[in-house]
Amino acid sequence: MLKRALAIILLLIVGYWLAQGLAGVPFGQDRMLVAQYYLDNVKQQTGAVNAVTAVVVNYRGFDTLGEVTVLFIASTGVGALLWRKKKKRTAKTEGSIVLTTGTRLLVPFVMLFGAYIFIHGHLTPGGGFPGGATIATAFLLLYLAFITYEIPHKGFEKTEGLAGMSYVLVGLIGLSIGGYFLFDWIWQTWNFGTENVGRLLSGGFIPIIYTIIGLKVGTELSGIIDNMLKEEVSE
Amino acid sequence: MNGQYAALLIALPLISAFFVPLLKGAGKNAIRYFLIAVTALQTGIAAWVFQWVYSTGQPIIVIAGGWRPPVGINLYFGHFAALFVLIVAAISFLMAVFSLRAIEVEPIDKYAMLFLLLMLGATGMIATGDIFNLFVFMEITAISAYALTAYNKTGEAAEASMKYIVLGGIGSSFFLIGIALIYGSLGTLNMAQIAQLAATMDPTVAQVGLALIIFGLAVEAELFPLNAWAPDAYQAAPHPVTVMFSAFVVKAGLYAMARILYLMQDVGSWGSVLKLLVVLATLTVIIAELAALRQRNVKRMIAYSSIAQIGLIALALALGTQSGVDAGVFHMINHAIVKAMLFLAVGYVAMTLGGAEIENFRGLGRRMPLTAFAISVGAIATVGIPLFNIFWSKIRIILATLQVGYTWAAVLVLTASVVEAVYYFRLLHTIWFEGDGERIDENIVIGLMVLFLAALVVVIGIYPDYAWNLAQKAGNDLFNVAQYVKNVPLMGVGA
Repeated sequence: MLKRALAIILLLIVGYWLAQGLAGVPFGQDRMLVAQYYLDNVKQQTGAVNAVTAVVVNYRGFDTLGEVTVLFIASTGVGALLWRKKKKRTAKTEGSIVLTTGTRLLVPFVMLFGAYIFIHGHLTPGGGFPGGATIATAFLLLYLAFITYEIPHKGFEKTEGLAGMSYVLVGLIGLSIGGYFLFDWIWQTWNFGTENVGRLLSGGFIPIIYTIIGLKVGTELSGIIDNMLKEEVSE
Repeated sequence: MNGQYAALLIALPLISAFFVPLLKGAGKNAIRYFLIAVTALQTGIAAWVFQWVYSTGQPIIVIAGGWRPPVGINLYFGHFAALFVLIVAAISFLMAVFSLRAIEVEPIDKYAMLFLLLMLGATGMIATGDIFNLFVFMEITAISAYALTAYNKTGEAAEASMKYIVLGGIGSSFFLIGIALIYGSLGTLNMAQIAQLAATMDPTVAQVGLALIIFGLAVEAELFPLNAWAPDAYQAAPHPVTVMFSAFVVKAGLYAMARILYLMQDVGSWGSVLKLLVVLATLTVIIAELAALRQRNVKRMIAYSSIAQIGLIALALALGTQSGVDAGVFHMINHAIVKAMLFLAVGYVAMTLGGAEIENFRGLGRRMPLTAFAISVGAIATVGIPLFNIFWSKIRIILATLQVGYTWAAVLVLTASVVEAVYYFRLLHTIWFEGDGERIDENIVIGLMVLFLAALVVVIGIYPDYAWNLAQKAGNDLFNVAQYVKNVPLMGVGA
């Protein structure tokens, strides 16, 4: 009881202190220093209609590379900690026929929609991370509906690695063509799609990178699901 | 060669880590040697950057994507970053070699990836010039550290990692809130532009934001109330990983803390944050030294000693003067060398004799003379005896503390050094004057690495001028914010 009361008092003090700080940043006031630059220049500089993806992949692409790495570490870490010599799925009850049939019908649509999200990252809300997560949901559905389903591990691990490497490679090509790491060479050097802004074939390297991220995130999250659903079996 | 190629310091570990899954079929030893090759290459690039920066005196500014800051993200390889990226890469290389023998637990491919990404995270934290990018790299470092802590899959490793994850998670959230406050108030994330605009900031917002950031980084930097995870993690992690924690992961956190602190020195409430940090740092030193006194496990004892030294560095960096920062950076270099050597030697003993309990160290001088010699050099150096490197940095820190007028802090820290001497000399006594045993064959490669580090300790101890010179330049890079701002090619957005 005393512990709880003390915790509440402490939280109130911290909350008051934070509120004091927040009061110095009034809502609705124009604080757009860098943001205004993005809004003014995003179309001709990156070819993306979606300003968020332009910032995330192009202007501040370095952060996204880092976030992709964070996810990679998460999946590698789960893999390292749950590693056993022999692992198997030990699910016991088969799903009902409605569930399995529904899954069969639904999975291709979920995957298609996931691919749609990451391919259209420069045009519509979304991008690589939501698209990849949607694709992983399709695999989660398969895992939950069928007691024996397993993802093809070898292929998935290799895709994950290859996708990560291609992201860095795209950046390194930028370094050799444009002189800067992660330089958008497709848009700024080749001028590919410059008369096409707002259509599918534009946006410089944003759709390419988002496809890479989508594949990577999809395989990684599926791998995490796979690792966590399996248990050790004795030989 | 073009300075932009310094971006390879980030790109190389990344692409190599992503390559490891493709290499999996080639066998365990292929992965181990691949790790050594990559870290060697990284050391080469880091040496090139170091040579470039120190010969021209100009920092290398890597501009990611060709967008000039503050629109894009820049990396800033100044004197500090160039020096510490080299230290990070060199220690990683030594640890990659050590991992050949030290890591038998499966799966080795995941270990290699996490190892590379830990190195990448620390490199990025030290090099970045953008405050949100700092957060991303901090997450990379922290999450690979969580996974590596639990890598041995024992119960105590899992517990240590759990503590670390919970504390680290809370710390990063606070850090993120701090960034949000600063961004909300200034509208920019670039460190140079933050420094430019700091004077215009609302003092309350600045104080809350800065305190949150310091609080968040204190978990990584192992400052007093938030370092409870550290001794457990040091003890339970694989031996090479312990070395990396102590030699550079915590340094990256300390550096980030000092960098942000000095960027905002124009803020009205700056002095109060400094005072808070001085108190925390002094407490860290005292509590860690007292805790080390009672330890029966040598690895844990040295872990506490490492935390105490970190507290000393934090104290120096929090003084707010040029001489304090220089001394702190000098101590960072020395501590990296000494603790790398100590943890390497102790890890080797624990590996050979099965555990780092103090009983195993009886008569070590007869059984493993080379390793015992290295531990002795490390112990004597840490206590701060003349002719060893830490003597110089410790005395400079004490002098800098006295200059600012914190006599109480200097006295407390010196008293803690006496405690430190007690447990280190007790360890030396156990090693050289107790027990006896048969001679054990020592691994020649590990022996060479240990001897190399011991030689560095003594050389810096006898000729401190070169290292002190490096530390002064690196310290100036941290302290002289006006020069830092001038070096970053800001675009003048919104100015």
